[in-house]
Amino acid sequence: MTDAKYHTPEAGSLEGGVFRPMTPAELAEVVDLAFDYRGDVTLQLQSGVTIEGYIFNRNPSGSRPFLQVFPKGESGVREVPYAEVVTIAFTGQDTASGKSWEAWVAKKASQRRAESEEAAASAKARGHL
Amino acid sequence: MAVPVSQMVTVAKYVLTQKIKGVKRYPLVLMLEPLFRCNLACAGCGKIQYPDHVLDKRLTPEQCWAAAEECGAPMVSIPGGEPLIHPEMPEIVRGLVARKKYVYLCTNAILLERKLYEYTPSKYLTFSIHMDGLREEHDLAVCRDGVYDVAVKAVRAALKRGFRVTTNTTLFDDANPARVRSFFDEMMTLGVEGMMISPGYSYQKAPDQKNFLKRNRTRDLFARILSNRKRTWRFNQSPLFLEFLMGKREYQCTPWGNPTYNLFGWQKPCYLLQEGYAKTFQELLNDTEWDQYGTGRNEKCADCMVHCGYEASAVEDTFGSWSGFGRTVKATLMPNAR
Repeated sequence: MTDAKYHTPEAGSLEGGVFRPMTPAELAEVVDLAFDYRGDVTLQLQSGVTIEGYIFNRNPSGSRPFLQVFPKGESGVREVPYAEVVTIAFTGQDTASGKSWEAWVAKKASQRRAESEEAAASAKARGHL
Repeated sequence: MAVPVSQMVTVAKYVLTQKIKGVKRYPLVLMLEPLFRCNLACAGCGKIQYPDHVLDKRLTPEQCWAAAEECGAPMVSIPGGEPLIHPEMPEIVRGLVARKKYVYLCTNAILLERKLYEYTPSKYLTFSIHMDGLREEHDLAVCRDGVYDVAVKAVRAALKRGFRVTTNTTLFDDANPARVRSFFDEMMTLGVEGMMISPGYSYQKAPDQKNFLKRNRTRDLFARILSNRKRTWRFNQSPLFLEFLMGKREYQCTPWGNPTYNLFGWQKPCYLLQEGYAKTFQELLNDTEWDQYGTGRNEKCADCMVHCGYEASAVEDTFGSWSGFGRTVKATLMPNAR
């Protein structure tokens, strides 16, 4: 990531957190947190399988609640029933953390210039500039 | 007149057809997001904050065309991310134009001049250039110096080649009305077909929550910007929506008016909120609890006056009655009338 060098999780970010829900209500709550999280999570399932990826959807209602993940390094979507989830770890970088307008304005001009140049260099390296 | 007559006729015919058929909820503009990757990193933008492997994903042309056909809206807006990064964007646009959709390709214009030759001028294709104000304000908003000048140069090049070009501007609570009015003058001098303006978005997941306009401040800001409107200014949007922004009229949100389709599916309930995703447009219409969204119904919607929710309400007002049509004619011909 382009901002890995200066990024540290803000207070309140779930980055680094690991949750082992004990009840269906707790599980639904943690899945909602993971759905709102702007980074990858790692799911440990009842089967012992782990899935690392981005949770982009969830359906907590119905007889078989499920979540949907874009697994990291794979194409396609994995659908995981809530009932199979044992732990959810917020293992990926919180890409929203530290990116607020206030944080940008509060930075020194030199920091802003450096970040701006870094973002431009990253886009250029991808052929997007 | 900012919007071509053929486009106005198409939209009017579409809306009236829906009304004759008794369709209660119909889409007006498909918000098609074929990618989230951008070549800018604007502070507070909630659309680009995903892990790299998500940012590297793209909708295929076939997925884009299927979404347009599935929802049936006469207009397609393509935001992002930066759409011009998508290697198949010219093909996506060609397919949408072939389907006679009025396409608004939203871009920061950094790549526009270089990519212009990949597109063909058409009444169905408009480059909608992201411009958040004059040079100082725009470069600050996009967190990179020099972008305003690049965009202006690209606009000139696009106009020279015969493309339809509009601007889209998001205004935040620190906007200076006098500077915004000067910006309008500048864009009209540049020769764009029309301008689109909207208050700042309030993404549920966006980190920039404090900077979004509160409802009364929004009305006050837009009243100061749009009062004593110059006759030279042309807006590519409903005149009733502009009056709504100025506090001259009240509307309830029409969240299904601008449905959003992206890598995750059909976004519930609207372009701004991400409550979940439906696999089909019909599922979006059927399963979303629409009554839970809009002014006074949901705290997340409390301060929202954004075009994607309320411009469709203004259009519905126009075609809902003869008096609504009359209000639209009056607001078009006499924008400064009380």
